[in-house]
Amino acid sequence: MAWKDLLVERRSKETLNSLLFFSLALLFVFQFALDADRERLSAVLPGLLWLAFILSGMLGLGRVFLVERENDCWEGLLLAPGDKSAIYLGKLAGSLALMFVVEAMVLALFALFFNVDLAPVLPPLIMVIALGTVGFAAMGTLFAALTAQARARELLFPVLLLPVLVPVLLGTVKATEAVLLHEPLAEVAHWLKLLVAADVIYVVAGLLTFDFILEG
Amino acid sequence: MNLNVTKLMGWLAALTLVAGMVMGFGVAPRETTQGNVQRIMYLHVPTAWVAYLAFGVVLAASIAYLARRRAGADRLAHASAEVGVVFTGLTIAAGSIWGKPTWGTWWTWDARLTSVAILFVMYLGYLLLRGMIDDQERAARYCAVLGIVAALDVPLVHFSVYWWRTLHQPPSVLKPGAATMPPAILAALLVNVVAFTLLYVYFVAKRVRLLRAESEALA
Amino acid sequence: MADHWNFVAAAYGLAILVLGGYWRRLVRKERELMIAGDQRSRQRSISGHPRSEPASRHPLP
Repeated sequence: MAWKDLLVERRSKETLNSLLFFSLALLFVFQFALDADRERLSAVLPGLLWLAFILSGMLGLGRVFLVERENDCWEGLLLAPGDKSAIYLGKLAGSLALMFVVEAMVLALFALFFNVDLAPVLPPLIMVIALGTVGFAAMGTLFAALTAQARARELLFPVLLLPVLVPVLLGTVKATEAVLLHEPLAEVAHWLKLLVAADVIYVVAGLLTFDFILEG
Repeated sequence: MNLNVTKLMGWLAALTLVAGMVMGFGVAPRETTQGNVQRIMYLHVPTAWVAYLAFGVVLAASIAYLARRRAGADRLAHASAEVGVVFTGLTIAAGSIWGKPTWGTWWTWDARLTSVAILFVMYLGYLLLRGMIDDQERAARYCAVLGIVAALDVPLVHFSVYWWRTLHQPPSVLKPGAATMPPAILAALLVNVVAFTLLYVYFVAKRVRLLRAESEALA
Repeated sequence: MADHWNFVAAAYGLAILVLGGYWRRLVRKERELMIAGDQRSRQRSISGHPRSEPASRHPLP
C-alpha cells in the first residue's frame, strides 16, 4: 500500500513541488520578518522550523486519501480483505516518507539561507525530528480518513489535528531547541519520553480504530 | 431518562445552584490575599470540573457505542459533547475574567488555561465533525472514534503543558492548591460543584430526549 | 486590595446569560418538536378516519 502511494505521488509530482515552493515562500517571509536580527532568529529557529514542517505537512496529509476520494475508490478500501489496520500502516508509511523528504529539503534550505551549521548536531536532530513527525503523521493519517468524506474538510482537518498535535509539538520543539543549542539530549529527557509516549499512543490508537473507520 | 425524572433533576439543580450562590456569597468569607474577586472561583472551578466530567462521559459513551452500536450511547455522547462545550467556554471566560484583576492580564499561557483551551477546541472539533458528515450512522461511528482519541489526548496535553509551564518557572505563578483552604470556602466550593454537576445532568438529559425526538421525527 | 465586584458580576452575569440561554434553546426546541409531533399525529388520524366526530375535525393548517 505504501509503495502504491509512493508511486502515485512520484507520478504526480504536484504534491512535492507545491510543498517545496510553499517551504520556500515560508523561508522568504521569515527572512524578511527577521532580517538582520541574528539573535532573535536563532531563538525562534526551532519554532520556525516546525512551523514550516507542520504547514507543509498539513498540505500533504490533507491529500492522503485524495486519490480514493476523487476516483470513488473508497469502496475499494472498505472491501479490501484482511486487517484494515494494514491500510492504516500503509498510509502512515506513505505519509512519513513524504514528510521526511519535505523536512530534509526544508532543513537544508534553512541551514543554507540562515547560515546555520547543522553538521555537528545532525544525528540527534534527525532523531528528534523523526519522533515528532511520527506523532504528527500518525494522527494526521487518522484524521485524514475521518474527514475524507466530510463537508468543509479543509476547515475540519486542522481543527481536529491541532489539539492532538500539542503534546507532540511541545516535545519536539523543545527538544529541537536543545539540540540546536548543542545541549546534551539528557537535558530534555522528559520531552523525549513524552514524545515517545505520544507516538506509541497515537500509532496504537490509529491501528485500533481504523477498523471502525473503514466499515463504511 | 423519563420526563418526570428530568423535571426533578431540573428543580434539584436550580435549588442547589441557589444554595451554592448563598454559600459562595453569604457564608464563605472574604479571601485574605485576593479579596472578593476570589468568589469567581465558586463558578470557575465547578464549570471546569463539569468540562472534564462531560468529556469523560463522551469517552465512555463513545466506547459503548462502538461496542454495542446502540443509538442511545451515541445520543449520550453527542449531548455530553454539546453541554461540555458550553461549560468549557464558560470556564475559559470566567477564568479570564478572574485573571484580569488578579494577574493583570486577560490571558496567560499557564498550564490550566491552556489545557482547557485545547479541550474547548477538541469539543468544537467533535461537534463540527458531527455536523459535517451527512450519513447518520457514519457520523456516529466517526465521532465515537474521535471521542476516544481526543479523550486519550487530554492527559497527554495536560502533562505536556504542565511540564512546559512549571519546569523553568517559580511555583508562585501557579494558583495555590486546595490543601490549605479554610473549611467555609471548601464547603461553598463543594456545594457549587454538586450544583453544577446536577445542572450538567439535567442539560444532558434534556438534550438526549431532544435528540431522540429529532431522530423519531425524521423516521 | 480592591474587591473588583464588577469582575465578579461580569463572570456570574455571563454564566447566567450563557446557561440560561442554552436552557431556553433546549426548551424552545422541545416545544417545537412536540407541536410538530402533535400536528403529525393529528394529520395521521384525520387522514385515517374520515368519519371522525365533527367537533374534532379541523381544517389542515
